[in-house]
Amino acid sequence: MDNITLKLLFTLLGLIIVLNWGLLMGATMQKIVARLAGRHGIPIYQPWIDLVKLYSNRTSITHGVMFYLGPVFRLGGGVGIFLFMPLIFGSEYFTNFAWSGDLVLILYFQFFGMLGMALGAGDGGHPNSVIGISRGLSQFTTIEVPMTLAVISIAIQYQTLSISDIVAAQQGGFLNWTIFTNPLATAAAMLSLLGAFGHSPFNLVKAPNEIPIGPPTEYHSSFLGVLRTNSAILHVIEAVLFMNLFFGGATNWFELIIKSFLIYFWSVFVGVVFPRFKIEQSVTWFLKIPALIGVFAIIIYL
Amino acid sequence: MVGPIYIIAIALGLAFAMGLFGKALKSVTGALLLAGLAAMTFISGQWLWAFLNDAVTTSQIFTAGFKPPYSINLQMGIGEAFFTFIINLVGLLGALYMYQDLDKKGEQIKMIFIVFIMSMNVVVMTRDMFNLFVFLEIESIAVAGLVLMSNTGKSFQAGIKYLIATGIISGLLLIGIIFAYYFAGSLNIDNLIAANLGASKAGVIAVFLILITVILELKPFPANGWGIDLYTAANPGLGALISAATASSGFYVLYKLLPLGGAEWMNYVAIIGGITFVGSNLIGIKQSDANRLLGYSSVGQVGLLMTILGLSPYLNGKFTFIAFSILISHYLAKAGLFWISGIIKQKDIKNWSNLRKEPILMVLFGTFIFALLGFPPFPGFFGKWELIMELAASGMFSWMTVILAGSFIEGIYLLRWFSNTLKFDNSELPSFKVKLNKVIPPIFFGVAIYGLGYYAGTFVEGAREIYYLPLLFIVFIAFIDFLPAWIKNTISIVGVIAYMYVLFPTVEGDLLRQIFLWIFLGGAVITLASGYYNKTKRVGFYPMALSMFAGLAMLISAKNLFEILYGWELMTIGSYFLLIRGKKSLPHGYSYLMFSLGGSYTMMFGFALAFASSGSIGLEALTGITIFPTLAYSLILLGFLTKTASFGVHTWLPGAHGEAVADIHFMASAILLKAGVFGIILVLLGMGSEASYAKNVLYVLGWIGALSALIGNVAASFQESAKKLLAWSSIGQLGYIVFGLAMMSHLGWTAGLFYTITHFLYKGVLFLVIGGIALKLGTPIMYKMGGLIHRMPFSFIAVLIAIITLAGIPPLVGFAGKWLFYNAIITEGYYFQGIVVLFSGVVAFLYLFRLINSIFLGQLKDEHRNVKEISIWFLMPVYLLLTAIMIISAKPGLILQPLGKYLVEAGLPGEVLQWNGTMATTSLGHWDGFRVMIIISVMFVLLLAWLLITNAKAQKVKQFNIVYSGERPERPETTHMAHNLYAGYNKALGFIIAPYVTGFWNWMSDFIYDTAGFVRRIYSGNGQTYVLHIIVYIIAIYLIILN
Repeated sequence: MDNITLKLLFTLLGLIIVLNWGLLMGATMQKIVARLAGRHGIPIYQPWIDLVKLYSNRTSITHGVMFYLGPVFRLGGGVGIFLFMPLIFGSEYFTNFAWSGDLVLILYFQFFGMLGMALGAGDGGHPNSVIGISRGLSQFTTIEVPMTLAVISIAIQYQTLSISDIVAAQQGGFLNWTIFTNPLATAAAMLSLLGAFGHSPFNLVKAPNEIPIGPPTEYHSSFLGVLRTNSAILHVIEAVLFMNLFFGGATNWFELIIKSFLIYFWSVFVGVVFPRFKIEQSVTWFLKIPALIGVFAIIIYL
Repeated sequence: MVGPIYIIAIALGLAFAMGLFGKALKSVTGALLLAGLAAMTFISGQWLWAFLNDAVTTSQIFTAGFKPPYSINLQMGIGEAFFTFIINLVGLLGALYMYQDLDKKGEQIKMIFIVFIMSMNVVVMTRDMFNLFVFLEIESIAVAGLVLMSNTGKSFQAGIKYLIATGIISGLLLIGIIFAYYFAGSLNIDNLIAANLGASKAGVIAVFLILITVILELKPFPANGWGIDLYTAANPGLGALISAATASSGFYVLYKLLPLGGAEWMNYVAIIGGITFVGSNLIGIKQSDANRLLGYSSVGQVGLLMTILGLSPYLNGKFTFIAFSILISHYLAKAGLFWISGIIKQKDIKNWSNLRKEPILMVLFGTFIFALLGFPPFPGFFGKWELIMELAASGMFSWMTVILAGSFIEGIYLLRWFSNTLKFDNSELPSFKVKLNKVIPPIFFGVAIYGLGYYAGTFVEGAREIYYLPLLFIVFIAFIDFLPAWIKNTISIVGVIAYMYVLFPTVEGDLLRQIFLWIFLGGAVITLASGYYNKTKRVGFYPMALSMFAGLAMLISAKNLFEILYGWELMTIGSYFLLIRGKKSLPHGYSYLMFSLGGSYTMMFGFALAFASSGSIGLEALTGITIFPTLAYSLILLGFLTKTASFGVHTWLPGAHGEAVADIHFMASAILLKAGVFGIILVLLGMGSEASYAKNVLYVLGWIGALSALIGNVAASFQESAKKLLAWSSIGQLGYIVFGLAMMSHLGWTAGLFYTITHFLYKGVLFLVIGGIALKLGTPIMYKMGGLIHRMPFSFIAVLIAIITLAGIPPLVGFAGKWLFYNAIITEGYYFQGIVVLFSGVVAFLYLFRLINSIFLGQLKDEHRNVKEISIWFLMPVYLLLTAIMIISAKPGLILQPLGKYLVEAGLPGEVLQWNGTMATTSLGHWDGFRVMIIISVMFVLLLAWLLITNAKAQKVKQFNIVYSGERPERPETTHMAHNLYAGYNKALGFIIAPYVTGFWNWMSDFIYDTAGFVRRIYSGNGQTYVLHIIVYIIAIYLIILN
């Protein structure tokens, strides 16, 4: 087998691992939240059942071409970030296609899925979808502020925007991790993460009991299956991004699973504790403490 | 050669003949008057011609065979020849203009008329002090007599006030003359000058009285109420004569007599002139009466001429040219405007919109207004340029400020008058008749002012290389304006392509200019091509669009600062006329014009400083300015920033662009704004980044760019009108470019220039498509649209690609800009401005989503169920632009590599973008646009295939088949979520776009208006008060001068 085929197969393998880990992680989190609330919660295999059910629905409707393409864009966004993300440090094959772009590519590729999804949902013609999108986009603009500040801070720190190089610079003991060498940037980014993951208090976008799940309101059957697939991948891969930038990356799959679980758990943890923000509250929240921390993260390098 | 004495002889003979045989000659007096004036014009004209060809030398005419001091002598030199010629010419045309009025009043008034003209001739030619006095008196009485011709109460009052005022003035003049004669023993001006009266204390008083009265004759501010009232009350035909002829002769008298006072008086005259120029124009702002407004403007212009005269020692030998060009602009334009005023017969300038009923008069009106303000191609432009340059060379910076400030204030009211005339409703106003004899004089002067503009250009160093062929082409297009649009469109496109063909070899090897040439003229071809959609005649559109493009092209081919400014102004005028074509564009067009005018003056100031420090007006003068470098570079940049609509001077853009029609919007935004970018690049290349002042300027510029990006993008998100959304977005996008350039590094400039190109492409697409849709639906309001994807799929795809590019989402080329920004910001240390810019970039998603969603997605309105795709003429250029976007998305190196190479050659400091095949790297990061494109495309296709497999039989239903709030909605209007889409965001961050800047400019404009209103109160209309003004003025000047 030649090199490129091998590479593709490993990438596919990585994708399958990430997808399944994402489903499992999602179920675990739901379970934890349920137990906290004194409920029994879903069976741990529920996400797989859901997916199988959604993909095998025999009837479905579409509102038009863009509606149809929306989930494709969305999943493309998730898979794309996966493709450009180095997963396992030092592994020849699980670095995916990270050589074709750096951190900036990943930051901007997030928008690929967001935009496609927004357009698809818009084509669905349901007002709840557009309300959800308008909230999501509004919130996202300021979520990005502390994140950008943190990214610039660590780019100054490591003098690189390449994720692999950033991970490499953190090797040699946990004290080399960014969380210890640049706690301010890490703090800013981890607060930004709360918004990016969209759990409470920043879950107004989907707000189930107000605008029934917002953007995906009109999506069902395999469309929704695609969206679920994406969110499983995206949750892991975003956690991996933070792991790579701030927590020393991972040298094997086990490390990746532990670290991504903890990073994801952080947003769930906060979500369980705090109630939902109104949109103007969440928009301004990121511009206060998190942005200020981010500014300090840069000032220390001036 | 006919002797100059015959000018007087003819006039006197005619006057006497009319007096003696008036009744007998009744039927022919009108013709006789014209013939006499024609003869006088001919005599002075032939002298002028001879002088210009060096065929004669100055000659003296001695009356009664004696030489001075025993006789009166007249002189005919080039000055006298010129002034008598212009006086007689305007006299002739004025008589033709007032033919009916004069005829109605009988012979006496014609007699007075010819005596009036004659007296001015003598005043100009005489070298005898007493003779001067006598003829000034005759002139005053004649003017008063002519004013009475109007036969209204006001004109009586004005005539009396005028007589009282001039009576006092000439009384004092006479005393002065007596004193002078007492000390010098001669009345001959040359003898008086030789006698050096200023040496003795008593002689000083003689000089004072003579000069102050001559100055008072020129109606200096504020002791000029009597003169202003005269302009207001007089027949406009007479107003033309007073403004053009009397003022010219008065100015020449001052010129003749000023040597009496020596250098000291030069300064006084300059100061008095300066105060008059600024003061009169300031009051002009509050005027609503056309003739009075013209009166203030006249007085102001004479003030400017006085200043020029007073400053003549500092003008390095260019006094004659400067004074000539300013005077001749004033002379032609003011006479023309008064004449037009007499034809339209509307006192209130609000009613001048009636003028549009006569397009020729409208064109003339515009010509005179722009000539008066010193726009190219009129002579005043050249004069003002040389004036400012020479003042700078002599270090007279405060004078430059005064003159430019005064000119700006003059612009406020003249341009407002013009804009209102162009746009106010005129349907209620009565139509008016245009008599041939009344329209010939202004047409003659209108043509002359263009001709003299060309002539004046031949004297200015920087203007000699101006390529006039495009301008002739524009004139040609103007002449065929009656043809259908598609013919003019085709000819225009051919013309632009030909011009590109001519220009390209001249910019060979200069990538910067090649890029801008493509944007300016390539853009011109694209927008003009889309113009075929328009099936009307588009009267006036093509000459103006081409003026704008010619101006833009001139920026590219400019070899010196003068040509830059010339092209800049030409472009401003052209674009103004394009922008004002929108329905509600009046206030926005006006504000565009005012910002442009202010910008061009600050630019001129900066250029002058550059000229003063290098002694050259070549483009290299922008390098290393040594005189006030911070100020100089800031002012020039400010001038260019008005065009990029950057933070602080952006307020004109949203309205002006928001009202523009589709293809004009493209021209105005995707193309025109780039002129500012080009200018900024020229300045920054000259300024460099090393000097400490450069660092400060760049720092501020960086913040201006960042804040423009922020407010532009945030404000765009809150617009309901798609066009205004795009307009604000332009402010934001140009902010990125300005910011990129301000980083003054290789990566920053790569980003800035790359944005310049891509903005042209994607914004071009958006303007044409959105403009086309707005045209189709008759509204740009987005919530009134919706669901159009099914009616306009091609438009949707175009907008989708454009917004993905604009947003910077990989794999399309917009991402390159974002990636470059990240690298530049971090390597150059522009962190915080950078954060603002990057944040703005994310905010752009809000408006981009709003744009595409509200228009194309969601619910289709019932009235749009049968709407068709936008015009193919829009779609063709759009898809051409999209093709370009797709090509450079796949191969960004096609542009970035040569750009990088050019920037290395241009010597921009900082890290250089490296290329390894399709991979771009910096010390920080890496990005392979081509591979990213491939990976994403393959992935997208695979995922789509996956969905198609799992969901092959999805049933197609309409958007409206939904359930919402527990109901099946009834109408699409209730179910299209588009109005006030980002209400929450507005609540949170709306403060960012609170109109502080607009508030500032409003305050500024109120301040100027209020000041004008306050100062204006000195003109009570009371004759005694006016006399008091004169006396107080004299005493004040006396105290100041003689301590």
